Amino acid sequence: MIVAAWDWSYFRTNGPELAEGLLRTLEVSALAVVGAFFIGAVLGAARAHRIPVVSQLAAVYVEVIRNTPILVQIFIFYFGLPQVGIRLSAFTVALVAVTVWGGAFNIENFRAGFEAVPYRFREAGLALGFGRMSTFLNVTLPIGGRISLPSTINTSISVVKNTSLMYVIGYAELTTTALHIHNLSPRTWETLATLGVVYLALVWSLSALIRVVEARLALPEDTR
Amino acid sequence: MSLPEWVEPVARYMATEGLKGTARIAAFSLVGSLLIGMTLGTLLTIRFAPSRALIRSYIEVWRGLPILVTLFVVYLGLPSFGVRFDPFTSASIALTLWGSAQVAEATRGAVQSIPREQHEAASALGFGWVGRHAFVILPQAYRRLIPPLVGLLVNILQNTTIAQIIGATELLESGEQSYERLTSPPPVGPGEIHALEIYLGVAAVFFVLSFPLTRLAGYLERRLV
Repeated sequence: MIVAAWDWSYFRTNGPELAEGLLRTLEVSALAVVGAFFIGAVLGAARAHRIPVVSQLAAVYVEVIRNTPILVQIFIFYFGLPQVGIRLSAFTVALVAVTVWGGAFNIENFRAGFEAVPYRFREAGLALGFGRMSTFLNVTLPIGGRISLPSTINTSISVVKNTSLMYVIGYAELTTTALHIHNLSPRTWETLATLGVVYLALVWSLSALIRVVEARLALPEDTR
Repeated sequence: MSLPEWVEPVARYMATEGLKGTARIAAFSLVGSLLIGMTLGTLLTIRFAPSRALIRSYIEVWRGLPILVTLFVVYLGLPSFGVRFDPFTSASIALTLWGSAQVAEATRGAVQSIPREQHEAASALGFGWVGRHAFVILPQAYRRLIPPLVGLLVNILQNTTIAQIIGATELLESGEQSYERLTSPPPVGPGEIHALEIYLGVAAVFFVLSFPLTRLAGYLERRLV
């Protein structure tokens, strides 16, 4: 058995195509992270403040997404929905699947953060004459949002990693692109090294961001 | 009202072949993750720089990579060193690498969460380093691990579906095969499309398996805190 020699020309030849794949990974990830933040903050607030109907629907949404594999969700969106006349492009499915998934986890992250804001803070807001909405925007959101920031970044890391699953629907993000190149000219370890280095660089930078955020935005002890 | 004719054989195939495959991968990955993860996590609490650096990098790499990439490392990468595994084993190994990294990190946290007084009290009772850990520290730490481990089981269960990508017959793949068979024109199959029903069915099975475990994990967490 011979291990073929490392071939640097792989990167020169396929660099531009891989870069395009990476760009698509980043595009889907960025849009999904923003979307999931928005879903999480809005429905997380509904959960924390027990807003009738919305809160229960959000709870069902969270449990359904958390307790079924994201790969099956992708299959339903891409292979199942056309049966009832809903045909979504690979890009749409990629974006919707990871956004819906990340949103469900962020609802729990934000709910926990909002619920960790001491009740007396909200009372203080109300006593100052703020309405319920402005109390939320000026008191609960900034404090609770900070508390949930590390866990929402963690969810965002998973969102980035999950974009690799779009391989199954052939959306040409980084993993799909690298494996398509591999099918044409199998440079196995060059392919795996590319994927490994790029994903670890992305994931580790975001993890480092969590530590920075935790240090910079830590709340003084007495607010707990 | 009775079910359409196609449902029964599909359900039987998924319950026998599919579910069996999922259970096989999940069981192997769970046991592997626990054995390797708890060992590495416990060793990580020992202040010895070289072993710490090694275990740290193991954890950060396998936790950081998307599981699909880990799967390709095992399934496509290792054969070039003459190590070849079938799809089932490859998926189980990939999930074990990922799962053991999760367990190791959780174990380290659990062991380090045992207050210093426990170490001091055990020493005062005459326990040496080994006895202190075997009889006082680790039993308490491992009990604290139970809720996160139930959560991990749910994650392993759901992540077994990546085996579908390399063609191992687990639940999702058995659904996909059934859908393909039903789509084929008459001599082979009825030529009907039932993708939505089948994949919703797969999701339902995972939900029924995962939901009680998720609730159990939440309950244990509240009770043990």
